[in-house]
Amino acid sequence: MASGRGSRRTTESEATVQYVQLDGLVVLNIIKHCEEVGSELSQGVLLGLLIGNCLEITNCFPFPRNALDDPDFDEMQYQMEMMRHLRYVNIDHLHVGWYQSTFFGGFVSKALMDSQFQYQHSLDESVVLIYDPLKTTQGYLSVKAYRLTPQTMAIYETMDFSPENIKQTKMAFSKIFDEVPVVIKNSHLVNALCLEIEEIGPPTEKYSFLDLATSSVLEKNIKLLMDTVDELSQDSNKFHNHYRQVAKQNQAKQQYVQKRHQENAARTAKGEVALPEEDINKLFKPLLPPSRLDNLLLSGTNCFYLACFLAWL
Amino acid sequence: MASRFFGAGSSSSEVESSSDEEEQVQKAPGRTFQFSDEEEDTKRIVRSAKDKRFDELETIIKQLRNHKKIKDMSKILESFDELTRAMKKANNVVEKEGMPRFYVRCLVELETFINECWADKDGRKSMSKNNSKSLSTMRQKVRKYNKDFEKDITTYMESPDADVPDEVEGSESEESADEASFSKDVTAKASDFQKAEAEESSDDDFWGSSDESSSSSSTDDEAYGENLAAKFLKKTGPGTEKREKRKREKKELKVRPEEEEVENDGQGEWTVVTPGAGMVRERPKMFTKDQEITVEAVNKKLHEILAARGKKGTDRSEQIELLTELMKISTAHNLGNGMLVKILFSLIMSVYDYNPTVSLCMKPEMWQKLLDLVQDLLQILEGNPAIVINEKVMEELENLESTTEEFRVRGCVLSMIERLDEEFTKMLQACDAHSTEYIDRLKDEKMVCCIIEKLYRYLESRVTSADLCRVYMLRINHMYYKFDYTTIARPADEKAAEKPLEKEAVEKPLEKPLEKEVMEKPLEKEAEEKPPEKEAEAEGSSGEETKITEDTQQVEVVVDPSVLMDELCKYIYAKDITDRIRTRAILCHIYHHALHNRWFEARDLMMMSHLQDTIQHSDIPIQILYNRTMVQLGLCAFRHASIQDAHNCLLDIQSGGRAKELLAQGLLMQRQQERRPEQEKLEKQRQMPFHMHINLELLECVYLVSAMLLEIPYMAAHEFDPRRRMISKSFHHQLKIAERQTLTGPPESMREHVVAASKAMKVGDWQQCTEYILSDKMNVKVWNLFPETDRVREMIRQRIQEESLRTYLFTYSSVYDSLSLVTLAEQFRMERGLVHSVISKMIINEELMASMDEPSQSVVMHRTEPSRLQSLALQLSEKISILVENNEKLLEIKQGILPGTQRRDGGYQQRGYGGDKWADGGQRNYQGGNRRGGHQQSGGYRNRNQQDGGGGGGGGGGYQRRNQDGGQGYGRRN
Repeated sequence: MASGRGSRRTTESEATVQYVQLDGLVVLNIIKHCEEVGSELSQGVLLGLLIGNCLEITNCFPFPRNALDDPDFDEMQYQMEMMRHLRYVNIDHLHVGWYQSTFFGGFVSKALMDSQFQYQHSLDESVVLIYDPLKTTQGYLSVKAYRLTPQTMAIYETMDFSPENIKQTKMAFSKIFDEVPVVIKNSHLVNALCLEIEEIGPPTEKYSFLDLATSSVLEKNIKLLMDTVDELSQDSNKFHNHYRQVAKQNQAKQQYVQKRHQENAARTAKGEVALPEEDINKLFKPLLPPSRLDNLLLSGTNCFYLACFLAWL
Repeated sequence: MASRFFGAGSSSSEVESSSDEEEQVQKAPGRTFQFSDEEEDTKRIVRSAKDKRFDELETIIKQLRNHKKIKDMSKILESFDELTRAMKKANNVVEKEGMPRFYVRCLVELETFINECWADKDGRKSMSKNNSKSLSTMRQKVRKYNKDFEKDITTYMESPDADVPDEVEGSESEESADEASFSKDVTAKASDFQKAEAEESSDDDFWGSSDESSSSSSTDDEAYGENLAAKFLKKTGPGTEKREKRKREKKELKVRPEEEEVENDGQGEWTVVTPGAGMVRERPKMFTKDQEITVEAVNKKLHEILAARGKKGTDRSEQIELLTELMKISTAHNLGNGMLVKILFSLIMSVYDYNPTVSLCMKPEMWQKLLDLVQDLLQILEGNPAIVINEKVMEELENLESTTEEFRVRGCVLSMIERLDEEFTKMLQACDAHSTEYIDRLKDEKMVCCIIEKLYRYLESRVTSADLCRVYMLRINHMYYKFDYTTIARPADEKAAEKPLEKEAVEKPLEKPLEKEVMEKPLEKEAEEKPPEKEAEAEGSSGEETKITEDTQQVEVVVDPSVLMDELCKYIYAKDITDRIRTRAILCHIYHHALHNRWFEARDLMMMSHLQDTIQHSDIPIQILYNRTMVQLGLCAFRHASIQDAHNCLLDIQSGGRAKELLAQGLLMQRQQERRPEQEKLEKQRQMPFHMHINLELLECVYLVSAMLLEIPYMAAHEFDPRRRMISKSFHHQLKIAERQTLTGPPESMREHVVAASKAMKVGDWQQCTEYILSDKMNVKVWNLFPETDRVREMIRQRIQEESLRTYLFTYSSVYDSLSLVTLAEQFRMERGLVHSVISKMIINEELMASMDEPSQSVVMHRTEPSRLQSLALQLSEKISILVENNEKLLEIKQGILPGTQRRDGGYQQRGYGGDKWADGGQRNYQGGNRRGGHQQSGGYRNRNQQDGGGGGGGGGGYQRRNQDGGQGYGRRN
């Protein structure tokens, strides 16, 4: 155990977590939690252990729902206490990540990035489990594990989302997250039960497109997609405007420099002292390029919506 | 006793007059005595007033002169201001006496003095700052002031007084002599009074308390002083007269505290004074006892009284009393109707004058009095057709006496009654609409109507058509908003007498006590305020009402208000020359039509008048009337199931949320800027009296329901249309509010009901929808306010069924292949024919892609419309193409092409590139590849999409992916 903990600090980040092994208990816990919370966002802490390049998640506990409303509530303290209690009953108490529910895959947000960055910054092997309760109600379990890519980590550390930086680091919305394969591991007893249930139950639908319910889900999905596309095009418009302004400023700058040159030439011809070359940046303050983070996030969201969408087809 | 005192006093006029003054002083508390006193005192008082003023002026001038001597400019300025003020006060006197020479002289001197000072530059420099400043202001002031007196000054300049100081001295000495004699008088008289007091042993109260008011009345009297004096001179035997009068007055003074005491000091003509006989008591002061009371005398007196009108110190209530008294006198002496009418006129005018400001309303007592007076006047006029009243009759040509000729009196009954009407409105505006006071006032409406009716009958043959239009307008103003319940009762009558119950139900609200109605249902109550003759007919129990019935029955026993309205308005249309009255009449006419459910007449009139185009140029009261008319028109349209028209009519009023303000039914709270007080006053003046209000909740409800009936099917039909426009913003606003609520309970308010009904309608649940709209709560709140409630409710039910059917078809047509008409008819509880017609209409309008299959009685859907998912995918593709375009623009910039400058070239370049790129992506549609193609591609896409039906969504997804690829490609290239 100790060696496992030690090793994960040393290994390359890519190799840290090759796959996530989920206990059936964790899955059921998360499902239960989301069911209780209803349509609201549900979040919780994952507990487990990193063994080699496999992250075993053996237990979890939810964040209390009204945590945000209560100003006195200390999240850290709550977590520590929870973990202490769990240790007393001899359950894995090592923090290995967190989980969050999502609808239609629209989970990519600044908040999620922030907290995952924090996690990964302090605990390298941390993952975020994204669970889609809606799909589960349709009969497809959807649990995905994600990690921020090293590029994202690097950019996030600097918090520099200027277009140049993003170009340099070769950042793209598709490189925000690494998806880590998830394996659900049950005890043999449970496996046996599952097999038995499968036999008893009706034959599963092989062709999901025959499912009548898909159309409403798809509609919803498309609507969400439309919203993000709208936002995205607004964002690109903003970016465009910025470039236009920059271009305008450049033109003005050039004109100014040219004029000054001519003037100076005229003055020297007359024998007068040339006007000093002033700092041009003082006259024309460089325009701040808009942050590309929104763009990245929106594109990412779109990407996930689409993944979600395609899953239905 | 007193005679002795007078006997002593009469030797010198000085003494007498001053003692008289004293008299007056003592009597001041009992105000009514003033005039009689003045009669005697006039001459002296005029003089003393003149002296007083001039004296004042002179003292100031003297001061001024002193200041001039020491060149104290600031003091001079002060004195000059004082002087001008005093001069203004003395204006009355000056008008009569001419410009006092000493004043002019002073002005001239002052000007020269100032000019000298001004010219003396060194002197000016050495002056103190204060002084020099005063000098310059002085210079300007004097110059300006003297301009007013230019004439006087020039005449003075022509012959300046040489003996200036002498004259002043002279007048001064005169003055002082006066003063001396006066003080002597006072002392002498005081002792006299003491004696008299001792003898009379009457109450001391009178004598002690009145010093302070001694000078109060002098200014007022001056104006008609001469007149009085002249009159006084005419009298015979003033001495004895006076004495007697004096005695009488004294008596009265005594009588006042102990009113019923019997006078028995030997004067036979005085008997018992009862409290009710106040008029009798006052009478002697109007005219001296044995003065012959003639028309001329009364007329003079009337002028006297009226001369005080509008003056600052005039006591208005006293004026009214005096005039009343005068009227009594003239009736008592049978001076003829001409005189009576004239006095009545003045009396009514002074009642109008009673309130100092125009905005205030009358006191109820005053109002009552006014009503009585006006009725009296009209009665006299009616009874005596020989009296001619006209504002064109000059005062000199008035004929009040002769019985052979016709009477001619100056005045205008019409304006008087218009004023009466205004006052009435003001009174209603002023009192709380929810109080019994309001109802009390409202009861007077009958009277007002009655008066107008009488006026109309009186003027009908007498005045020009223009004036008659005004009378008609007055009548219309009182008629147009009243609902005539007989219009409902009549068809019921015609149908059969077998439905007496229904008729009773209709008439029931009519007989409900007003009180209740006012609180809750202004509209219905409005309706109840029918023209008086109707009401009198209906109830006709109390004495007053029977009287009215008698009055009115003479002319028109039963006149249908609509017919009457028609007549009146048509007369105005034909004869009116001022546009304003005609506009008003048209609007009132429309209102009346609309109120009585004559939708087509009302609509046609509105269309023909073209008022909609010009109304914004007219004045605000007319605009308010226009708004009211539009609302009424809208309500009428709603009752006639013309939902679209109803919505259009009400839209303007309802859309801004300012219905209350637009209909002048209350001031709206303004958050942003405070209303200026004068503006607020104006707005308050414009407010409609409460009984004319249109129920705002009814208005809003009708608007929302018609918006619902229009909007819900429209929304269902254009669910995915990006260019969909809202029909009614406020309806959407209500929907949004309802959506925002986390928990929707059962509807409480009217709006919630409508919103809940809309939700039910959205899914085609007409039953639920009707339940909400026609619930008990809504019935009580809204629908019962309509005169024909059941009919309206039935209409609403039908409309809801129809629109629900339409909504249902729009929403769910994609689910069906075919629909049986029979099932639909059953489902919506409509007749099959109706269902057929509704669906046919939809098919014709290309709203529903379907065809009728007659043999199987069913609708077959064509399924040409994209499914919901498909249309969503279409929308998405459109949005994505916008995004692509945006990204392409960005790419242009990256390639160093400045936006706008070399666009053309860039475009070509771009095209080639883009074409390649898209071709790489393997998308046929993009191979055409130019920008235009990019637009068209969405069309091509659409086709493809429709071909593979359910896969449309997938297509969208693919498109999106392509786009992303493209994006990446761009990034890499750079």
